[in-house]
Amino acid sequence: MYIRTSKRPGQDHARMAAYIAAGVVVVIIAVQLLVPHFLPSIFTTIARPFWRMEFSVGSGSLESPGSLLAENESLKTQLAALNVQQQSVQSIANDNSELLTLLGRTDVSASNIQSASNAQSATSTGTTSSSGPLSSLKPIPGRILAAVLVRPPQAAYDELVIDIGSDHGISYGAKVYAPGDILIGSTTDILGQTSKVKLFSSPGETYSVLIGSSRIPATAVGRGGGQYQAEVPQASKINQGDTVSDSSISDAPFGIVSAVLANPADPFETVLFAPPVNIYQLRWVLVATSTGKKI
Amino acid sequence: MKTILRIILDILLVIAVINGWWSVAIVLVLIGVWFFKLYIEIIIAGVAYDALFGMTSGMGWRGYEGTIFAIVLLIVIKLLKKLVR
Repeated sequence: MYIRTSKRPGQDHARMAAYIAAGVVVVIIAVQLLVPHFLPSIFTTIARPFWRMEFSVGSGSLESPGSLLAENESLKTQLAALNVQQQSVQSIANDNSELLTLLGRTDVSASNIQSASNAQSATSTGTTSSSGPLSSLKPIPGRILAAVLVRPPQAAYDELVIDIGSDHGISYGAKVYAPGDILIGSTTDILGQTSKVKLFSSPGETYSVLIGSSRIPATAVGRGGGQYQAEVPQASKINQGDTVSDSSISDAPFGIVSAVLANPADPFETVLFAPPVNIYQLRWVLVATSTGKKI
Repeated sequence: MKTILRIILDILLVIAVINGWWSVAIVLVLIGVWFFKLYIEIIIAGVAYDALFGMTSGMGWRGYEGTIFAIVLLIVIKLLKKLVR
């Protein structure tokens, strides 16, 4: 006669798996309540060397000297072309100020525009030179340069991971800018040497902006993938290509209108816009060092 | 032999999680949970992914999607294996 004295091994495995799953849930809840940054710190410490190595490879650190020299020459050529463009833009600005003066706008003189332009360039670049994408990477008062270690769509949560944290005095809620002084997000999780940046374009995120030349106030709602939408009253005369700026005192550039969806039966029209940078290709960002809310 | 395959799978899983390749990680954990007994690495992978890219204040439960998905997948595959085998 055969008497089964033990349960099937499969049932033991299933029960053990259930116990492990329950244990993990309890441990995670307890750890997150008591020490919220414990698990992220541990795993980030493990992953950081791999991210840095990947970033170095992507930056061309392992490329041959010949290819780096060729890339350097190409960048110098592009910079020279941008400088020429900037000079022509400045010339047009001077012509504009002269025309304004001829039309009786003596309160807006060429010297005022020139000094305002110089002040804006000095604020954004730290120098009085042209404000191209490369020059915005120079040290800027109140901003710290950070390398983007992980970006969407690699990071599933539509956020960035940057290589500076509390070691550089970064605080919770610090504004983050893409090259060109474009506001893209704010810091959330601050660890020792890394931080997570929540993009304002994340689904459900909202931010106050001003749209178009009329500076119509609106609330930008994130749609994910670096895209925003906002509702404005009908006949707001907003066109494709209009600029969107931050509604705060900094008035930082925020995006460019890509489409306006209008339904005559609807009292509002939907404005779709996106920042003029591709967040999927961001390698560097600037983080404001003004203190924000700390957690 | 099975142990070596499990180690190789785990190494690939670590690479996928660190790089944020969640789609690759899902395929790897599906293979691991189906072919190996008590593949708790799936839960470690889910926790690690959330710790690296989620678990941020303001995200709520969405910051723990990896962990939740791993636990649910482990239980579902266990039940499926029990039915099939």
